[in-house]
Amino acid sequence: MDENLEELTLLETLDHLLDRGVVVAGEAVISIGDVDLLYLGLNIVLANLDAVKRTSK
Amino acid sequence: MKSIGADATHLRCVVIGAHLQRDDIEPIAEVIPAGDLFLSGLPVADDQPLGDRELLVRVAKVRAALLERATFIAIRYGFTVSAESEAKAKCATHLERWRALLEQHRNDVEMTLKVVAPERVARPDRRDFTSGADYLKALHAATNAVDVDPEFRVAAEEAMGKGRWLHRDQASLELAALIARDAVERVRAGGEQLKRRFPRVPFLLSGPWPLEVFADDHHE
Repeated sequence: MDENLEELTLLETLDHLLDRGVVVAGEAVISIGDVDLLYLGLNIVLANLDAVKRTSK
Repeated sequence: MKSIGADATHLRCVVIGAHLQRDDIEPIAEVIPAGDLFLSGLPVADDQPLGDRELLVRVAKVRAALLERATFIAIRYGFTVSAESEAKAKCATHLERWRALLEQHRNDVEMTLKVVAPERVARPDRRDFTSGADYLKALHAATNAVDVDPEFRVAAEEAMGKGRWLHRDQASLELAALIARDAVERVRAGGEQLKRRFPRVPFLLSGPWPLEVFADDHHE
């Protein structure tokens, strides 16, 4: 698989994992184990958009 | 493997999804009964940080394998349980609705088409607001101001069918649609046609995904 496409697929998968689906009883973890999941999610979204642009060129 | 159960065995699991049948989960993931539904889980050590990249990738792989087996409701990453009773209690208010959705969409999956907007809307600066509520309103307004070529929107709906347009951030829009499992390839072919027709619009058609947007009542 093309390297850009592979990176994009991984980013898209992680974006869906972190930012989609049902939040149960307010249990979405905002920060745990020194890693802020919201921050991680935001970075993935930004990287994802950049990768979409690159692979579309 | 030590199994999560009604007793206090305290095997901590990252919950992945809600499923109609036990057979939809085993042996791919751990089964956690919740009422008359079943949750899938991936066992993790108590001190395992959930933000660990290797764990995220493992969960993503299990999620994909589960979807190949049967459609399920995706639970947002970060929900962990240590006992069956805990899972049942925390999911109790959702179970009836989830069952109805799972029965209705047993043969459907979600697909998404993410479009990068031609212009990013400026993100409000927190320092410009004295009230947190006003800042959140401004953030929401900025996200909702993002738009893409109306002609592309129509063509995207032709390729995927009617779905829900969602404002994700200040730079993109996303169309999510329910697609019959046997129509996934047809939608992908529609995506290729879309690429040829709008070569200058950066977009990503992806899926199949479990029930994510259509199971999340915040998007109704």
